[in-house]
Amino acid sequence: MDKFSFKDVLVTVAGLFITTIIAWVLITATGNNPSEVAKYLYEGGFKGTRNIANSLYQATPLILTATATLISFRVGMFNIGINGSMYVGALYAGWAGYRFTNLGHYSHVTLCILIGMTVGALWMLLPALLRVYAGVSEIISTIILNFVAVLFVSYMANGPFRADPIAPATARILETAELKQIFPNSQFNTGFFIAVFVAILAHFILNKTTFGYELRSGGDGLVGIYPSRFSSYLGIPSNRSAITGMLISGAIGGLAGAIEVLGAVRYFFQELEFNQGFDGILIGILGKLEPIGAIIASLFYGAVKNGGFFVDYKTDVAREIIIVLISILIFFVSAQKIVKGLEKYPIVKKMDSFFSRKKM
Amino acid sequence: MEWIEIFDISLFRSLLRSTAPIAIVGMAAAICSAAGVLNIGLEGKMLNAAFAGVAASYYTESVWAGLAAGLLAGLLTAVLFGLLSFTLGADEVLAGLAINIFSLAGTTYLMRTIWGQAGFFSDPRIVGFEPIHFTFLEGTFLEPFLSDFTYSVYLMFFIAIALHIVYYRTRLGTAIRATGENPEAAEDAGINTVRVKWLVTVFSGVLAGISGLFLSLENLTMFTEGMSAGKGYIGLVASSFGNNTPLGTFGASAFFGLGDAIGIRLQGVYELDSRLILMIPYALTVVVLILIGIRQRLKVRPVPISES
Repeated sequence: MDKFSFKDVLVTVAGLFITTIIAWVLITATGNNPSEVAKYLYEGGFKGTRNIANSLYQATPLILTATATLISFRVGMFNIGINGSMYVGALYAGWAGYRFTNLGHYSHVTLCILIGMTVGALWMLLPALLRVYAGVSEIISTIILNFVAVLFVSYMANGPFRADPIAPATARILETAELKQIFPNSQFNTGFFIAVFVAILAHFILNKTTFGYELRSGGDGLVGIYPSRFSSYLGIPSNRSAITGMLISGAIGGLAGAIEVLGAVRYFFQELEFNQGFDGILIGILGKLEPIGAIIASLFYGAVKNGGFFVDYKTDVAREIIIVLISILIFFVSAQKIVKGLEKYPIVKKMDSFFSRKKM
Repeated sequence: MEWIEIFDISLFRSLLRSTAPIAIVGMAAAICSAAGVLNIGLEGKMLNAAFAGVAASYYTESVWAGLAAGLLAGLLTAVLFGLLSFTLGADEVLAGLAINIFSLAGTTYLMRTIWGQAGFFSDPRIVGFEPIHFTFLEGTFLEPFLSDFTYSVYLMFFIAIALHIVYYRTRLGTAIRATGENPEAAEDAGINTVRVKWLVTVFSGVLAGISGLFLSLENLTMFTEGMSAGKGYIGLVASSFGNNTPLGTFGASAFFGLGDAIGIRLQGVYELDSRLILMIPYALTVVVLILIGIRQRLKVRPVPISES
């Protein structure tokens, strides 16, 4: 498997360039000034400690959801339901955060995180079993479970878990369950380091261990780097690795939700909205389904996302433009024939072999 | 009020109204799946059509301009899907997902940036479709069953029957099914499978466009963020439950429509939490997925992941 070859980088950079032009046209067409938008985008993403801290905060759940995505994709399962795992993980981590008293800081945080991860993993059990034992597409079942999750957590925050008589919200988590916020005026918290640690751990497990090799035997026999159910050369994955991969993926999704509640919002309320599960799919693909790539792409996406909030606040341009542009970028990156087509140019070939030799 | 009393004529009408969008997009899914194209992107096509329909109707104050714009939006989104999957070699699932994320963000962006509206956009200038009143049915016992529905309900029946004929009575139908069942054999028999896939993709875009269009220009004339609300995916499940045949898909969609209709009525009777009512279509979908699983277990050995 060729990862991060020169031609992939070339396509990504060229895609970014074309996307920028599209953005320019789109912003002008909807009656705004592109250079002003660019300025705010940069300032919101990178200017000053607070914005940088916020960009890293935005990147935190993305690193996890992207890792969750790539793990499932590389075991040959298209898990689109990470957003659902994130919701239920957040709800139950928050519940554990106020329900268990008299615990120390580390034990309480650990307990909350483990509960969030377990619930997130269990959320993926039904799609995994249906796929493996009955051949039902996990793509559809996980997507549908996203809708169920949103309504379920909203119902729970309104009904059984509701603590506040005025607003539909759970009780605030106890101080012992909090992940510490490091910078003033920013929701950046120690969860960031957990996220990076998990991604690096995933890198080693997937790429350097026998367990990881077994896991990905289903997904890596691929055209290009993307899982293709139509051409698996490396043999049939064991049912166990497919199920394990889905559960790990769900657990990491649950962790992303747990960190949001323990580190940033501190309680669960009905309007709490997560999209990071879907962003994670885009980021996982941008990062070429490699955990290290996911970290890099998440940092980029986090900064752009935070910049997008600033643009939204300062101008009439809605923040959704960021997702629009990233998905256009994905169109380019996922077009395998563009990548393959570049191979016929001698300069690309030369650069490719130069970089791959250097790696060895 | 006893629960049995909800089974009346208005439940039947509500059933048909709820079935229409799912059945129409479900048949789009069915023709794609029959030709071996996994079209996750139907959701995005519906959403783009719903948006374009409202936008055109708002600016021209003509429902027919809305119709044209909606169909065009569905078609163009389908062409984008085809370009990515068939011409540029992107994975079908990834292309579909990227299109859905793109469409959700794109329509929300345009709504917020152009009209400055968050959540939903509604305006008296948006003209919607009116129900059709059949004067010749007036006074007959058929009137409450058949008259005064909006276009989508009648279209749903028409499309189901037309597709059934195309499927089983024409060469095109044979070509579509052959492409899905055994592409190599189809190629040997002189069928251009890529052309068939393009054809079903473009046609599914039009159908998804119709389905999306009637979401925003019927009953309530407004556009809401993410208003397709998973109907494109539910349509995929309905087509799978109906073995990818037009009439089977129609039947499966009616099952979803019935669940929806009963949920709406029960809410009036028992004052259930609205979230639980909203959950009914998705919970039903999960149930149907489990039923599909059981059926596949009974029928054949489960397909290994690498071969499906």
